[in-house]
Amino acid sequence: MADDELLPFDPSLKKKKKKKKATFDLDALEVVDGEPAEPDTGKASDNTTEKYSKRTEEKVNDEPEPDTEKDKQDEDFSLDFSGMRKKKKKKKPFDLEEMKESLPDMSDAKESEEIPPEPEESIGAPPDDIDLDLPMKKKKKKKKAVDIDELVGEEEKTAEDDDLAEYSSKREDRLEGGGYTEGKTWFGSDRDYTYDELLKRVFDIIREKNPDMVTGEKKKIVMRPPQVLRAGARKTSFANFSEICRMLHRQPKHVLAFLLAELGTSGSVDGNNQLIIKGKFNQKQIENVLRRYIKEYVTCHTCKSPDTMLQKEERLFFLQCETCGSRCSVQSIKSGFQAVTGRRAALRAQ
Amino acid sequence: MTSIDKNLGSLTGSTDPFNDQSDEVGAGIQEGLIHIRIQQRNGRKTLTTVQGLSTDYDLKKIVRICKKEFACNGTVVEHPEYGEVIQFQGDQRQNISEFLKKVGLARPEQLKVHGF
Repeated sequence: MADDELLPFDPSLKKKKKKKKATFDLDALEVVDGEPAEPDTGKASDNTTEKYSKRTEEKVNDEPEPDTEKDKQDEDFSLDFSGMRKKKKKKKPFDLEEMKESLPDMSDAKESEEIPPEPEESIGAPPDDIDLDLPMKKKKKKKKAVDIDELVGEEEKTAEDDDLAEYSSKREDRLEGGGYTEGKTWFGSDRDYTYDELLKRVFDIIREKNPDMVTGEKKKIVMRPPQVLRAGARKTSFANFSEICRMLHRQPKHVLAFLLAELGTSGSVDGNNQLIIKGKFNQKQIENVLRRYIKEYVTCHTCKSPDTMLQKEERLFFLQCETCGSRCSVQSIKSGFQAVTGRRAALRAQ
Repeated sequence: MTSIDKNLGSLTGSTDPFNDQSDEVGAGIQEGLIHIRIQQRNGRKTLTTVQGLSTDYDLKKIVRICKKEFACNGTVVEHPEYGEVIQFQGDQRQNISEFLKKVGLARPEQLKVHGF
């Protein structure tokens, strides 16, 4: 809808997008939906977008790649996102940060040795992994709302597409973070290429040469949403509690302690492995708390990888990351002060 | 023997620069944390508790101002373990954290909001 307005220039392109969108993740849609909120930006970049697309298509046609089709679609998406760059404002801060981090070492790598694209690729690949990993994970945090609501059984292909699109959009973001919004192709013009354009080119090449790197590296953890039902008048049942604990690779005891401490109530696991919590809670609230749990006790604080182990040593819990090997202590679970909410008379009677 | 070994292990562990630092930082923050919690009462009523405010401040005065500002009742409760704790009626987590930041009683990183 929004991008229909945005892309009135190429019907074939539009059609493709339509098709793509059907399989596309909500995440992208979300961004697209957000578009009309700031019409001026969309309009402003409209022209550039148009130019953009023509150029990129030229470029794509120039290159005799086997999977041009895919590439083109990707380009389309990056295009798409360029129009709604302003939307990403909330994401920008860390993107910029991340860029600041990543740029120096990339430039170092480049400056240290003048290299043709081939070796550059191999050098470019590891930093790519590393610094792209971070925002990916961060994004996931935000994305999880979408994912959780979504059905878990997402098709493999859509996931792939999604990853690719995400990837390209992020890259786009990053480029724009540097302030270079106009075209990335310098073919056919006699102006000098900029650093960002080169950077983009490298990433493009990397992605073309090994597509599985993009999709294979970043395993998306899709969480099943917690099933929260009311059990009686003033109790809540968390039906798939043990399942979620298994997915997080954490002991139910630990998760339970955290949940109860955070919610400030009492509760227990009953016979068929569901958690009964005292008090009325809805799914959203439990989800929030679970998310906080994951942030503190599941994802690695250094690399944000979910592949971690929780070990207990001398009364302290340590989070050991399996991916980056980092090890750090996590906060102990304390329920803290509990105000008297029940009947005081009953308390006194004890 | 084993105890010596253990000691050695702990020593080498503590000399690990990364480990040490992270522990130190965590402990430093942990000290001055202000926990803002919510508790459910009967029905849809809730209670907000603020624990960990420095004892340098007169909590009663803080409560007096807050009560007016948030239009709710509130009180100071003495707890043997946690010291003086402020209680407010209703979900004042947002209000109180903003208030503490605005007045300068707490730095943003000191505040820890719990609950759903």
